[in-house]
Amino acid sequence: MAGHSVVGKSIIRLDALDKVTGKAKYCEDLKLPGMLYGKVLRSPYPHAHITSIDTSRAENISGVRAVITGRDVPEKRYGPSVFDQHTLARRVVRYVGDPVAAVAADSVEVAERALGLLKVEYEKLPAIFDIEEAWEKNPPVIVHRDLPKYELGKFPPPRLVPDRPNVCYLRTLRHGDVERGFKEADLIVENTFSTTRLQHCPFEPHVSIAQAESDGSLTIWAGRQSIFLARQYLCKIFNLLPSQVRVIASHYVGGAFGCKVTLYTEPIAAMLSMKTGRPVKLTFTREEMFSSGGTRIPFVIRIRDGVKKNGTLVARDMEMLLGMGAYAGSGPLITRNCIYATVATYRIPDAKIDAYAVYTNEPPVTSFRGFGSTQVLWAVESQMDVIAEELDMDAVELRRRNLLEEGDTNITGEIVHSIGVRECLDKVADSLEWGRRSKKEVGPWKRGKGLALGNKYSMAPTGALAIVKVRGDGIIEVHESADEIGQGCNTVLAQIAAEEFGVSVDEVKMVWGDTAFTPYFSRGSTSQRTTFNVGNAIRLACQDAKRQIFEIAAERLHEPPQDMDIKDGTIYVRSNPSQGMSITELFTSERTLLPGEFGDFVEKSAEILGKGVWVTRPAPSDPETAQIPENVARMGGRLAGFFGYGVQGVEVLVNTETGEVTIEKVVAASDVGYPLNPKMCEQQIEGGVAMGIGSALWEEVALDQGKVLNPNFGNYKMVTSMNMPKTDNVKVFLISAPHKEGPYGAKGTGETQMTPTAPAVANAIYNAVGVRIKDLPITRERVFRALREKAGE
Amino acid sequence: MPGEKGIYMKQRLELKVNGQTYEVLVDPWQSLADVLREELGYTGVKVSCNSGNCGSCTVLLDGKAVKSCIMLAPLAKGKEILTIEGLATESNLHPLQEAFIEHFAVQCGYCTPGMILMAKALLDENPNATEDEIREGLVGNLCRCTGYVKIVEAIMAAKEKMKVTSSR
Repeated sequence: MAGHSVVGKSIIRLDALDKVTGKAKYCEDLKLPGMLYGKVLRSPYPHAHITSIDTSRAENISGVRAVITGRDVPEKRYGPSVFDQHTLARRVVRYVGDPVAAVAADSVEVAERALGLLKVEYEKLPAIFDIEEAWEKNPPVIVHRDLPKYELGKFPPPRLVPDRPNVCYLRTLRHGDVERGFKEADLIVENTFSTTRLQHCPFEPHVSIAQAESDGSLTIWAGRQSIFLARQYLCKIFNLLPSQVRVIASHYVGGAFGCKVTLYTEPIAAMLSMKTGRPVKLTFTREEMFSSGGTRIPFVIRIRDGVKKNGTLVARDMEMLLGMGAYAGSGPLITRNCIYATVATYRIPDAKIDAYAVYTNEPPVTSFRGFGSTQVLWAVESQMDVIAEELDMDAVELRRRNLLEEGDTNITGEIVHSIGVRECLDKVADSLEWGRRSKKEVGPWKRGKGLALGNKYSMAPTGALAIVKVRGDGIIEVHESADEIGQGCNTVLAQIAAEEFGVSVDEVKMVWGDTAFTPYFSRGSTSQRTTFNVGNAIRLACQDAKRQIFEIAAERLHEPPQDMDIKDGTIYVRSNPSQGMSITELFTSERTLLPGEFGDFVEKSAEILGKGVWVTRPAPSDPETAQIPENVARMGGRLAGFFGYGVQGVEVLVNTETGEVTIEKVVAASDVGYPLNPKMCEQQIEGGVAMGIGSALWEEVALDQGKVLNPNFGNYKMVTSMNMPKTDNVKVFLISAPHKEGPYGAKGTGETQMTPTAPAVANAIYNAVGVRIKDLPITRERVFRALREKAGE
Repeated sequence: MPGEKGIYMKQRLELKVNGQTYEVLVDPWQSLADVLREELGYTGVKVSCNSGNCGSCTVLLDGKAVKSCIMLAPLAKGKEILTIEGLATESNLHPLQEAFIEHFAVQCGYCTPGMILMAKALLDENPNATEDEIREGLVGNLCRCTGYVKIVEAIMAAKEKMKVTSSR
């Protein structure tokens, strides 16, 4: 986009220097005077009654300062949607890893030793692990017997299914008449797909330091996403007012990917601090991250599609079961929103979707990059290739025929805006030399190409505030509450402020991450919302500050304020650009004052404060059908903030003797609206691709009777430098379908990037060796077995 | 058992870190990473997996890369320890640090110190390392954010700069 001087450029990340020199501070690096260390005792059983806990021996060790159990925690349960959780289990444990007791001690080692001396007696209960079995009308085990009596929250308001006692939320979409659609179909294709649990593996584990203050308030330093959401939960748990809880994340956060939106360490550390009066730090071990730090939701997806001979989709019927594990957390919200993945890309005249959130006695799940869209697209984009095969049609052509276009109506009734998916698809097909058979096959290694379409919405309602302070030294100080979790939000947000003032990012100072000082940002840096929402709030705050500056300058320059503009730190008169003054001159009186002198500085221009408020509101939609009323849609009412799109293609080699798969080439195109910082968009895409490859081929939190078998980086296999193709074979394209409300047209992009990878890999494997794997991950064993089965036919 | 009185005594240990000599009292079971971070304040040493699998805690011992989370501190006695804090000179960043910044090889930053030190050990030993050799050399240093592409590009770029610097 022409005319911009700072946005649209790959400005060096503001955090890079501190991060390459070891100066960057993370919560895990912080120490407070008198700080104690917390540790948590966890349930060894997937389902049991706690019959007794004896804490006496642990309490008697020197250096142990507090021991707490379920008896000490508030009776009230909490949660975002279903209030189903206590800080520590009170009477029942529901998964292996459920917190039962906690200790605060002078050192980690003493705390660990104390855990070993806690004596807990359990009475084992039957447990349930299979999602489909748990979903049944008469399941052998009910995970939450009192579910109908639980208090219910708002994110989303729960929708229970009385005859399915393990279901805590049901989402339904009805568009047109799906049975009529199937009658019109020439071909009906039905398949069942599944996905497994992933762990986010942020390199800094969950960590927080809690200080119970003497006035009853609470201060928390946390390595997390969404400080204001944490504040809301902590208020709920401890019955405190928002002004009594301060959450600080003004340091860096060592990765998040969704799991740091949930409270894990904070309430336990807070209770230990309340008991001791001292600051208490609680850091999860890597093993705890796997058992109790949240995992991606496993899905079972039944998909039935009707198509015409010419490839036109006429009907889609999906039934999805989402395994919540033992506590629902953000699971119901994921169940509600995951259907948007089906909504975003294709024209479907008649559609029906049912998605159920189902409890089991497995570890609780949480949000994970993609928030359910990734799992839904695993099914949809695999299915599209199956349909193409059955119609004997090219897979790209089939997709092209069904793409939504700007101005179309999607299956929620929303009118589509800012959709760059076709251009992404063209780029990928072209770069991958789609349709040209790959050469260079050696021995048992067969080569194949595949691609898939991805998308991710950004959730609404949401809103952000920003404050911009213009300082006497000319520095533009931006106060906001986005979470610097590694995505580099501060750099992009500084670029926006710099652009508005016509200065370089060196003249911008970012202040973030403290609920006591930085302004509200609902739900924080989640749902790829930061650039769009905080970016817009900053633009508005800058405009507010500039309005005030122009008023002061107008008085001094004897020109009307509406004739003023600003560039390179100089306020000038548009009609006479030679007439102007620098920002620092606004504060002249301060600069000439001697220390202690007062002057008229305060009255004149002591502080210029601009405030920006940005709210993204969704249109109301019918809770049973998910449909937006037609008149609302016509007025621009929409489902979410925006949709980001990404198309990825891969070339794989598959070993027909061993089932091994290697990724030889990746092509990724993404519609980011407008790339505010192109290199940082590439960072998100490359990182998303790598995570996507891991999820496609290896990543799985393996469970046996609810116990994690591989809770470490040795046995949980994430992508290494050797699993990625050579740098020349990773091609990234940035596509711009500007969003009318995005800052400079930009949309968020962090989550979109993982959504097409796994089905692209599966489609390439099919292209190479003709086996279709429907369950993630596509392990060597699964490919091997499928090849054997195929050979036996 | 750790922490039990009378079973062991803390050891006095002399460590040389980034050219500075320290005398510390350590528990015999303390890892080098733990001592560097918790006793000496070198928090640029990151501990992520705490099991020797991810390489975030990589430091150089007499120029060789080690995973300090699974090395007992006393084993570093008498060796020159280099952490990320000691890599830049007062006036200049190391070419690897510069390249990681310029090539956008940094995201959350938790793997970065270990990644840079691993790359230094690699290039010091093999100044002409090919892309394949670099990717192979990094296999024990995991990164969850970047997908490695920009990290490998940064190391390739730094390699050229380091050759120029060392030939001067």
